[in-house]
Amino acid sequence: MSFLGRGAGGPSNGVNPERIEMAVTELDTVTDFFNRMVSSCHAKCISTRYADQDLNKGESVCIDRCVAKFNEVQKKVGEKLQSRGAAASGGGAGSFTGL
Amino acid sequence: MDFSSFNAAEQAQMTKIIEKKQMQDFLRMYSNLVEKCFNSCCNDFTSKALSSKEEQCVMNCTEKFIKHSERVGSRFAELNAEALNTQK
Repeated sequence: MSFLGRGAGGPSNGVNPERIEMAVTELDTVTDFFNRMVSSCHAKCISTRYADQDLNKGESVCIDRCVAKFNEVQKKVGEKLQSRGAAASGGGAGSFTGL
Repeated sequence: MDFSSFNAAEQAQMTKIIEKKQMQDFLRMYSNLVEKCFNSCCNDFTSKALSSKEEQCVMNCTEKFIKHSERVGSRFAELNAEALNTQK
């Protein structure tokens, strides 16, 4: 997160609760996405024998691919929901925006 | 996430919120990890003490999870950086 150490950007000194709320929602979404990714890829890639404390070669490669795939699935599902939403505009859950 | 357009007061509040969330996130991860490692390592209840084998398993499980989570984190950061670059 890059906001630390930068000068104040906004013109006023008051707190805009709407902007805070938006940022918190974004933070929650990304955190949730990341946590789900950690837990899914752990379930799929890590052997439960725990004979070793290090990730072995196979597990490491699996994690790298799992993260890329999880991300791609997120995009695909997002695109699908978006095109569905556009087709049935007004009737559905409304707009969906990616991260 | 880029909060650079926030003013000082807003950034201060975001820092506070993030710190609180990091604490909650850590506690949640802790209890999940206890559950995960307990379920993977403890299957013998003929004794109430952790056997040395079980203890070793729990230690490996914890260490491995941290390494796993770090690796996912760095791959995730790379993906985000990539996405940010293609946006520009």
